[in-house]
Amino acid sequence: MSTSFFTSSIIFSCAILLRAILFFYGLIQDKYSPLPYTDIDYFVFTDAARYVSRGLSPYERETYRYTPLLAWILLPTARPGAAWFSFGKFLFALADVIAGWLILLVLRSPAGGGMRTDRALKFASIWLLNPMVATISTRGSSEGLLGVMVVALLWAVLSRRIMLAGVLLGLAVHFKIYPFIYGVSILWYLEPEVISISEKSSGPSEKNPSAASVLQSLLAFLTPSRIMLLASSLATFMALNIFMYAIYSTPFLTHTYLHHLTRIDHRHNFSPYNTLLHLSSAVPSATGAVKFESLAFIPQLALSAVFIPLALAKKDLAGTMLAQTFAFVAFNKVCTSQYFLWYMILLPFYLPHSSLLSSPRLGLTAAALWVTAQGLWLQQAYQLEFLGKSTFFPGLFVEGLSFFVVNCWILGIMVTDIGNKPFSKQKAEGKMVEEDRGKRRVKRVE
Amino acid sequence: MRERITFLHRPDDALDPKQLQLQNDTLHVTFLKAAREDKLTVGLYELPQELWRALKQCYELHIRWISPNPYLSVAPFVSTASPGLHVFFTPQRDKSADLLCPLLSKTFGARVDCRTPEDTFIHLPVASKRFASSAAFQHYQTLPSLTDLATYLHQRICPEEDESCRRRAASLKSADYLDIDYDTLSQSLVLSAFWHSPPLTEAWDERIDKSKASDKVEIGVLASEKPAQPEELSLAGFLAVVGEDSKPNPTLFSFPSRHHVAPSTSGTEYSTAFLEPIGLHPTLRLTLSSSTDPPTDGCALHTYLTLPSSLFLDKYQLSSSNFLASKNLHSIRSLAGETDLEAPIWTVSKWGSTLLLELAPPPSTSGLRSAGTVKEPGGSWHADVPLHLRYLPPNREGHAFVSVAWPIVFWACPSDEGTKMSTNPFDRVNLGYDGLFGPRTMFYHLQPASGGESLLEEILVPVLDMEGSKMKWVQSGTVTTVVLGFLWVCLKLLAVNRGSLGRKGGRWKGD
Repeated sequence: MSTSFFTSSIIFSCAILLRAILFFYGLIQDKYSPLPYTDIDYFVFTDAARYVSRGLSPYERETYRYTPLLAWILLPTARPGAAWFSFGKFLFALADVIAGWLILLVLRSPAGGGMRTDRALKFASIWLLNPMVATISTRGSSEGLLGVMVVALLWAVLSRRIMLAGVLLGLAVHFKIYPFIYGVSILWYLEPEVISISEKSSGPSEKNPSAASVLQSLLAFLTPSRIMLLASSLATFMALNIFMYAIYSTPFLTHTYLHHLTRIDHRHNFSPYNTLLHLSSAVPSATGAVKFESLAFIPQLALSAVFIPLALAKKDLAGTMLAQTFAFVAFNKVCTSQYFLWYMILLPFYLPHSSLLSSPRLGLTAAALWVTAQGLWLQQAYQLEFLGKSTFFPGLFVEGLSFFVVNCWILGIMVTDIGNKPFSKQKAEGKMVEEDRGKRRVKRVE
Repeated sequence: MRERITFLHRPDDALDPKQLQLQNDTLHVTFLKAAREDKLTVGLYELPQELWRALKQCYELHIRWISPNPYLSVAPFVSTASPGLHVFFTPQRDKSADLLCPLLSKTFGARVDCRTPEDTFIHLPVASKRFASSAAFQHYQTLPSLTDLATYLHQRICPEEDESCRRRAASLKSADYLDIDYDTLSQSLVLSAFWHSPPLTEAWDERIDKSKASDKVEIGVLASEKPAQPEELSLAGFLAVVGEDSKPNPTLFSFPSRHHVAPSTSGTEYSTAFLEPIGLHPTLRLTLSSSTDPPTDGCALHTYLTLPSSLFLDKYQLSSSNFLASKNLHSIRSLAGETDLEAPIWTVSKWGSTLLLELAPPPSTSGLRSAGTVKEPGGSWHADVPLHLRYLPPNREGHAFVSVAWPIVFWACPSDEGTKMSTNPFDRVNLGYDGLFGPRTMFYHLQPASGGESLLEEILVPVLDMEGSKMKWVQSGTVTTVVLGFLWVCLKLLAVNRGSLGRKGGRWKGD
């Protein structure tokens, strides 16, 4: 493809045009077809916004399981007139494009790889010109908002705007809980200040490796930037929660957070746990005394919140966040296709250095397996859902596990790629000095 | 105990007075081709203890059982509901009715799936609180026959060797519907059973005695006349009180009626089917004839569904006007009961839900076709109700059956202000849907046309097949795969870290 296509004005015009076309197409389909283009969730959001506009709680709407913030920002949709009803879709699509612009910003920044604009645009197009992304947001799904928050968080960390990063992190966790996993990798990524390390390494710590040294390494870990991130994110998260609780009390906690602890998730979905959850909720005696499904959070959180961040965050924050999200979604007790957007937005940061691109055969195999595994699952689901065939077992069970295996294999590739990424190259120009000092220090320790 | 027995013959089957022979305490009925309603009124304390103790816990109780076998209704007995057992109930204030469910199981059979009213019954919506004749709670389930009730009456209620009581108990097995009503104010239990024709034979040949237990036995042999007013019914024939009258007395009387048969210009029949393939989202299709002129001005065509908890309607799906129009539906008028969109059946305790839908019939005039309506050249149109199945418990067959009763279809019409429906000696209320309308609403019923088949539709529901040792695989397979996947990723993480640890020496250890 000629590089001349990849200029900011062309790509963003195309991204906006794509969303505008889909938006207006959606209006036509909604008007004339019994099958609405608009997502069911969008009716949930806008109904909730209508309740809020009447001074009621958004949780009056059944199945509204989001922060009241979402209903508040969609308040204009409660105004009379069909145009206002679409305000949310406009907002989500706009968020989408802004997320794309932030991707570009990160890719071009020194800390994000310092890519040339045309090359960065190519990768940003994975998000900007992705028809799936544009369709989901113009149908009125709020995932675009979360995309903006996550990329903005990444951008803030890479450009060392730590307080902003904390606020964004707190907000994102308040919105969708799962971004808390990014907190761990960002904390780990934020290196101790070089000077303090140098000072300390010359101190007495090496002589008595005792309780004092543990305390000292803890103190060393708690750098000002880490404290700032922790404090600002926790403050934002708690302030939002206390504020919402003060207004909406228990329904807010029940629907936004506690619902995720009590939900059964028995309906078929991509999760490897699905058949087990279905069986154990319907016939508790059938799965024996040990409830393995209640331990599902252990491998999920061990990988996405501990092992992956600790092993990779210092090498490549964006890549780590992708691997974390990928692990979180693959090992989750419930998984639907909108969850794929959670990691799709982080792909542009990983692909430029991935073996999936450098070895097209590997890349195509991975893509083909990912799509095929889903296709096979969908075929079983279609037979169940629409033809009434009992494909729960072995059909959906085996296909769900196969998709999981494919995901684990791809995750293994990602982990290897990110882990083997040359350290210095990632923290380009701006961080070279710290890197040199680090090396010097290592020598001294030896 | 008081009895009223009404025979309704067709106006063209002229009655010969010889067919009714009144002698002392006995009436002989010979070769009477007619529909029949028996109405028994029993004082509370004439009942056995187990019955009145349970009834004392109810403020009011109305049981409606309707046969799944279609029958030809006869005015004034044209009101109906979906086939099955409906229980409408209001408890005594601040008292729990713990005897009600055990009594229902005892009388109607072990199939009655009712734990306590709080657990199983749904709240009944009402149009206005002032329409006091509506009960507060409702239970429903499909019940194909009254065999268990007949056995109960035979064994527990009928006195020893009272053949006539036993015969009447057995006759319930062939009844088309049975109503049982009790309320605190009247302190009496009223049973009404209806037969559209005598069971197995063409005509009634009966000897009706005034038994020792009965205070009064009233007999009517009547036929419909053309009424003077459209909202009225007119009946003519003979009335007699057994043991008091020496011969039947001719009579002619009129009264306003809540329920009527829909005139042919408004469509007289409908049929019900589920669209194939059914899957997990069954669509219930009502097929109606193309005559869709309302019986009077201001009428609207409705269908009332009584859905078991395995099925539910997503009211949000029916909020789009395009979608409603494409299904020939106008709007949801009422939806009550178990309507959770996410729950599987094993977390649902109530019996199900009721749904009143207003239909949007295409205009009756042929040729004109408005956008979105489905009208076929064959002279029929249909309305589709999109439903969803809950997940049902796993079993060893991999599928389960759900019985869904045919809904009823009727025109609801406003009536004159002054009309007093309750003056109708055959008035019937507490059918579930009547409480959703004002007290002066008239119902013009369409007849179910199933070609003689049962008015229960069976649908096949796919469930998780847990035959044999299959289910052991689910747990071991899931756990093994997840653990292996987890270890694989951990290995990859270790591999890259060993590499970097090797390259950078004790970089982290030194911190």
